Order: sequence, then structure tokens, then C-alpha cells
Amino acid sequence: MTKEKGDVLQGTLDMVVLKALQLEPMHGWGITERIEQWSEHVLQLGQGTLYPALYRLERQDFIRSEWRVTDNNRRARYYSLTARGRRHLTDSLEQWRRMSRAINLVLEVKAVS
Amino acid sequence: MGVFVDAWRRLRSLGRRRRELEDRLDDEIRFHVEQQTEKNRQAGMTPDEARRRALIGFGGVEQVRERTRDEFGAAFIEHLARDVRHGLRSLRRHPAFSAMAVLSLAIGIGANTAIFGVVQTMLFRASALAQPETLVNIYETERGHGFNPMSHPNIEDLRRGTSQVFSGIAASTFFPVPIGDAGTARIVMGEVVTGGAFALLGVEPLFGRAILPEDDIARGGHPVVMLSYGYWQRAFGADPHVVGRTLRLGGRGYTIIGVAPGHYRGAFPPLTPAFYVPMAMANELMGVEMLGQRDSHSFFVKARLAPGVSRAQAEHAASLVAESLTRARPEGWVPGERFSLVPTSDVQIYPGVDPLLRAAALLLVGVVGLVLLLACTNLASVLLARALDRGKEVAVRQALGATRGALVRQLLVESALLGLGGAAVGLVLALVLFHVLVSIDLPLPYGMKLDLNFGIDSTLLFDWRVLVFTVGAGVLTGVVLGLLPALKGTRADLGSALKTGSRESDAPGPLRWRNALVIAQVAMSLVLLVGAGLFLRSWQQMLSVDPGFGRAPTSVLSLMMPIAPLTADEAVQRTRRVLERFRAVPGVEAAGLVWPLPLEFAASFTDFTIDGRVPPPGQEAFRTDRAIVDGAFFDAAGMTIVAGRTFNEGDRRDTQPVAVISQAMARRYWSNGDALGRVLRRPDPAEPDLIVVGVASDINVRSLGEAPREVVYENYAQGGGSPMFNFVVRTSTDPARISAALVAATREIDPDLQVVQSTTMAQHLAMSRLPSQMGAFMLSAFAAMAMALAAIGVYGLVRYTVARRTHEIGIRMALGADAAGVTRLFATHGVRLVLVGGAIGLAASLLAARFLATLLFGVGTFDPVVLTCGPLVLGSAAWLAAYLPARRASRVDPLTALRTE
Repeated sequence: MTKEKGDVLQGTLDMVVLKALQLEPMHGWGITERIEQWSEHVLQLGQGTLYPALYRLERQDFIRSEWRVTDNNRRARYYSLTARGRRHLTDSLEQWRRMSRAINLVLEVKAVS
Repeated sequence: MGVFVDAWRRLRSLGRRRRELEDRLDDEIRFHVEQQTEKNRQAGMTPDEARRRALIGFGGVEQVRERTRDEFGAAFIEHLARDVRHGLRSLRRHPAFSAMAVLSLAIGIGANTAIFGVVQTMLFRASALAQPETLVNIYETERGHGFNPMSHPNIEDLRRGTSQVFSGIAASTFFPVPIGDAGTARIVMGEVVTGGAFALLGVEPLFGRAILPEDDIARGGHPVVMLSYGYWQRAFGADPHVVGRTLRLGGRGYTIIGVAPGHYRGAFPPLTPAFYVPMAMANELMGVEMLGQRDSHSFFVKARLAPGVSRAQAEHAASLVAESLTRARPEGWVPGERFSLVPTSDVQIYPGVDPLLRAAALLLVGVVGLVLLLACTNLASVLLARALDRGKEVAVRQALGATRGALVRQLLVESALLGLGGAAVGLVLALVLFHVLVSIDLPLPYGMKLDLNFGIDSTLLFDWRVLVFTVGAGVLTGVVLGLLPALKGTRADLGSALKTGSRESDAPGPLRWRNALVIAQVAMSLVLLVGAGLFLRSWQQMLSVDPGFGRAPTSVLSLMMPIAPLTADEAVQRTRRVLERFRAVPGVEAAGLVWPLPLEFAASFTDFTIDGRVPPPGQEAFRTDRAIVDGAFFDAAGMTIVAGRTFNEGDRRDTQPVAVISQAMARRYWSNGDALGRVLRRPDPAEPDLIVVGVASDINVRSLGEAPREVVYENYAQGGGSPMFNFVVRTSTDPARISAALVAATREIDPDLQVVQSTTMAQHLAMSRLPSQMGAFMLSAFAAMAMALAAIGVYGLVRYTVARRTHEIGIRMALGADAAGVTRLFATHGVRLVLVGGAIGLAASLLAARFLATLLFGVGTFDPVVLTCGPLVLGSAAWLAAYLPARRASRVDPLTALRTE
């Protein structure tokens, strides 16, 4: 681990992907880019995990997809959140916050004695 | 069929969806890589470098594809397909085991499906009638006679008295009718029905029209005929333009008005008639008064309850009619007679024979069930052995990371495949068996056709319910039987399994299971063998029964002799001419006539009183069987006159009517059988009193082997005659040849005489033994199947043991054991199991035999012959099955054996 890079934790991947789609529909490559940007290049989504996740989330009816034309006139598959996906994202974020807060609390306890 | 089409469509759409997803993924990956390449190029790389880095960054296109595919939602099907491929491969590697399992299961499933088909057709077939729950069958019940068909006057009285409770009454009867032109006519079964019958029962014609009430008003007025589906198929080649054509029945042209639907079998289910004609034509068609006689019980009656009327209410109304008839005492009504109402849906064929039929069907289902059980046992045994053999393979795969779930699934798929294979082969077997069963052409008299087919034939087997049953049974047995071995086999402790390797000769658990299975098989098949043995003995007993007549070679010719245009004297003259002509045929020793023929389904009765004897309480007269004969009948049938004389030329219509009675009757009514000169007084004014002039030896009248029956023989020359006579012709030569000569002679005398049937006495008697013969053959066939399955089981077990212990055998041989000793070692194991199973089976068959008592004749349920032969036969088969593979063991070459590993 020379660079501060990390694989997305299993289970949080779905949440991260859904979060990336929260603002606007995006294609697969766009999602990778966005997550990399947002995480200041710490999170690099392996394609081997992104596409399975996308197909899984679509099967679970959290996202839907359609062909669209990009700005530079290319055909790409755009993913967008469904209502169900939005609800799921809210729930997962809520859970994540509680969990990370708890973990932070534990980690920040100064060792006494 | 819909289910399968649907499943296929879904599978296809699954495949199509899959290809779409695949294409879409490829497009997405391509786009992704291109975008990344573009980005890399903008960052200053050369185009080649940009693309290379993009691909590296993406990391294994094929891997991404693979992992994404798993998310397509059809992964389950994928895995299943892989398991199926793997399973097929592994089954192919062990052809002997696989074949044994598939074959066993095929026998079991095949027999079950065929019998299931037949029983379903016979007993559980949905009614062809509309709203069968509001229909009742009505019979006349007298003391001692449970369910008689009704007479026409009684039906009319009942109809008048029950118009409030029944919305309609339908009656029908059937009789042999010559069809076609005189001389070339054939006899077929025809049914006469009341006009509104089809409408009342809710049977719509296939096309044309049904017989309507207006067809059934004027006697002889409407010569119209509706064909049955089967006859339309057979005789008219399913000609769609058949309506309007003319059919010659009994010498008169009848206009064809329609065809009945295939699912309607007529009033008497398995005997589908060739056609239906209006009741008003019955007298003309039969040439005898059918409709006017109150004591002519020949009509099957169905009535539909009026809306809101219960069966109890209808029964009450019917009993009032019977009571008023008893008060009015019309001629032919037996006081105390009543009408019995039976729900139509409770009647399979006839209330009198239904219990026997159900018992037979149940027995059959039970027997084939046992065969299936045996087949399953073989499958279970094979699967256990396979699980045992694969201990190492399973361990290796587990060590390589296969989950237990995946392994169990794999094993289950394999056993389900065996089941499916068994079902497929079984279905073919069932089809063959079913065809054999329904196409059995029973030698029924009078051109009757036993129609188990109902014109629907084997498509019945492709009824989806039967298919589901078969395939379901196969897969289910496979999975259920595979579950235990699969669960056990995959629980293996890795370390020890890998260490022991394949030479783990004493896996006591599974082997003990297999032993138990073989014991069970032997026991079950012994039960079947003993059952079959009892039936065979019963049939053998029947063969040796002496019915008291017809021992010598004899032909039987049944002629329809309409009286209608003739006077009674003319009819007698004509009959006498026929008899004399028959006696002149070369090779004929004696010729007589009788009606009804003994041991036929028809029966005739007469009532009489005797001076000094009081009839049974509640009755005004005695009642016995009656037969109309001529003086030569006794000699022709091989009976003897034990006292007095037979009828002769002096007994004419203008002299005192006389009778010959059976010995049993003489013994019952007169001390020391002194019956000669006594008078039988008959309450029916149409029947004159008779003086007994002779006593004849006893014969079986209604069933083979029955207790001697009381019979009154009347002289045809003194009575009113009969529309049909059976000519009994004893000969010194071949009766079949004589039969042909008789038919030719009949044509010479009078081309209008209709030959109803021409047969030999041997065939006639064989007919009455048919049920027990069929029972014996059927059960023997299943017992043979069971024995074969048990033998396969024993063979498989011993052979398996030998295969596993090859190494040990090698050592024994190397140490000096001789071949005989080794053979004995392994055969003994098999034989010991057979002995234990045999003992259990013997005990079980003693218990089971009790249930057969009602179906057996002349043989007790504890029959020493059967109880000796059954075990002997099974024992030899099992010994052979154990010996053959054991001998293989002794042929093992010590060197090769020791090298195996």
C-alpha cells in the first residue's frame, strides 16, 4: 500500500454506487470517475466489482438503466436510482453514519493508565 | 400440455434475455475502455499506450464478464446445467449401476402408470353426464335380489308417481341386433333409450341431433338411430357426412340422425353399444314384447332430482309408488318389491359387481405400488453404494473448496437424473403395457366390445396429469432416495476419508442399510409370489371344476328367432325344423336347445307353490331359476336324467304342461327326492301349472363351482317360446368345424334367422373362468417383475461387495483359499439375507392372503402348495443372483487384485 488507496469495503460498495447516482443518471465509467473524484482518488472502483454490482442492483430494482447518447455523441448505458433505490440509500446511509460514529468513538478513546 | 408449453416458453425467454444482457455488457465494457483510453490520451499518452493502460486498469475483461454474468439472475439455471452435465458424465462412467437403477425404476413406474391409467379410466373417470350429483340410478329390489334392472310398466308407474320429485326419468336397455342386410348381417350391441334420455343426462351429440322425446311416442314409428362414437369410428371411418344415411337394423332401414360424443359410454359403462335407437322401436327391433311385461326386468334407469328435492324425499315418493303397486297387485308385480335409489356417482358399473371391481382395482394398485417400492429399493441401494464409492472424490472436492451445499446439490441432481431416466423409459413401458391392456379382445358373447378405451385411446396417457404423475414420481423418488446418501456422504471427515482412500471395505453403516433393503425386497416379492400362486391355484381349481354339462366336444349356436309374424305353433314348428336340420349335419351326435344358456349372464326365474309346503315368510311363492329347453337338450349337454323321463313328441301345446327339475330341487322339496308326478302351481296366470315328469342331474347355472341349484326346465314346445335360443350340439369331431356347418345350415333353412353368436362350449366355459384367469396372469406378471427386481437387488449387492473387496480376495487367494471357498464366502452373505427376507415375507404373506379370500375360488388362504413353491422359486432365483457375482470373486487373479489400488 504505497499510495493511500483502498478497495471499497464489501457491502459499502452498493451504498457508494447508489450515492454516486443520487444527483443524476450516469454510465458505468462516469460512476468510477465520480467516486474517484469524490474520494480524492482514494477509492478506486475495480471494474470487476462495479459491473457485477450494477447488474445486481438493477436486478434488486434499486436502479434502472437505459441507453442514452453522451455529450460527445456516443451511445452509453445510463443508470438512475429508482424510488426503491433512494429509500434503500437513505436507510444505508443512516446505518452507516451510526456505525462509523460508533467506530470513531471507540477508536478515539485515549488510552488511560 | 399447457404447463409444458409455458415452461418451454419461459426457458426460451430466459435464454433470449441472457443473450441481450450479454450484448449489453459487451457494449458497456467497450464504452468504458474507450472512455478511459480517451482520458489517458488527453493526459498525453500515445494512442497505443493509452489503450493498453486502459485495458490494464480495467483488469481482465473476461473476469469482469464472468463475475457480472453471475448477477444476471439466471445463475441457478447455469449451475443446474453444469450439475446436469457433470451428473450425466458420472452416470456414464458407471453404466452397469446406472442401467440397473434406471431399469428398476422404469419397471416400477411403467407398471404404475399403466395401471393408474386403466384404473382411472375404469373407476375415477369424470362423469360424462351433466351435474351427476343430482342423478340417481333406480333398481328394483326384491328379497334376495339386490339390484335388478326395472321393467317398462314399472318405470311408467314410477314416472307417473314421482313427477313431483324427479324432473325426468331416462331408461335404456341393450341387446344384440343384426346390422346390415340379411345374409351378411353382423350382430352388434344396440341400446334402446327413452326419448328424453340424452337431454336429461346432459349429453350433447358430437354432431347431428340426439334422440328426442318425439322419436319415442309411436311404437315403431320413428326408425332413427344415433351412432356411438366408437362404432362411427370403426364402421364409418369417422365419416363427417354420415347423418341422413340409412342403416339396416333387424331388417328395417333406420335413418342416422347423429353421433354420440366419445366420452359417453352408454348406460352400462364398459360395454359401449354400437348405436342408440328410441325405446318405441324396441318391440319391433327385438321381435318380442319388451315393453308390456311387468316381470321383464331389463331396463337401466336414471332419474334427475327436481331442484331442491333431496334423495330421501325422492326415495319416499318411490316407496309410495311401490306400496300402491303392492296394493293393486298388477300381474307380474312381486308383492314387497321396492325401488332402490343409488346416487349415480356412486355407481361404477353396477351396484352388484362394483364392490368386487373396487376390490380388484385396489388389489391391482396395491400390487403395482409394491412393485414400485421394490424398484425404489433398488435405486436406494444403488445410490447408497455410489455414495460409499465416492467418499474420496467428495473429500477431494471439499478440500478444494466446494461447499457442502454444492456437493449435495450435485449428488441430488445425479439421483434426480436417474429418476428422470427411469420415468422416461417407464413411460414408454407404460404406453406399451396400456396398449396391451386396453386392446385385450376379450371373447365376450354377442358381439359385445369391452371398451376400456372409450375411443380416446392412448392419448389418455399423455394427459398432463398422468405425465406429471410419472415424471414427478421419478424425480421425487430420485431426490428423496438420494437425499440421505448425499447428506451422509458429504459429512465425511476430510482427513480420515482422504487417508483411508478407496479401500475402506468395512463401511458398516451404509452396507447395513443395503442389507436391510435387500431383505425388504425379498420379503415383498415373496408376498407377491404367494399372492400370484394363490390366484394360479384358484384358476387351476376352476379349470378342474365340472360344471355338470358340456364336457364332450360341443358347439353352441345362438339364433335370434323373432316370433312376431308367426303364431306360437308356427314358431315351434320352425324351431323344430332347425333342430332336425342340425341333427342331420354329419358328425352331430345330439342337438338340443336352451334359453338362457347356463353360465351366461342372463337369468330367468319362475314362481311356484307346492301342495303341503309353505313359502318363506313374507312371500307367496317359491322362486327358482328356470330354463326353456327341448327334450334332447339334456343328452346334448351331457347331462343325465336321473329319474323319470325327458320331454318327448307327446308333450304338445294341447297336452298337460310338464317339467323336468334339477336333482337339487327334487331333494329340497320332496323327501328322498320323490318328485315325479308332483305339481308346480304357478301364481302367474300366464304360466300354466306344471307336472314334474323327470329329474335331471345338477349343473352350474350362474357361476362355476356354485352349490347345486334348483332349476325348473320347461318344454319350449309347450310354452310361449323365446326370441332367442341357444342350440347346443354335441359332436364326435371338431366342434369349430361343426359350428361352421351349423351356420351354413341355418342360412339354408331361413335367411331371416340371425346368428347372434357361434362358438364352442369350451370357449363358453373359458369365458366364465376369464376373471380368475386374468387375475392369475396379471398377478403372476407383477410377481415376476417383483422377483426380477429382488434378484437385481441381490445381484447388485453381492457384486458390489465383491468389487469392493477385490483386494481382500486377492490376499485370501494368495494365502491359499480355494475358489469354491471364496464363492461360498460371498454367496453365503447373499443367501443369508434371502433367508431372513424369506422368513419375513412368508409371515407377511400369510397375513396378506386373508385379504384375497373374497377373490379366490376353491383354495384356502393357507395353501401348502403355494407356501412351498413360492419360497422355492424365489429362493432359487435369489441363490442364482448371489452365486453368479460370487463366482466372479473366485476368478480373481491374486496378482491383479493386489495391484488394484
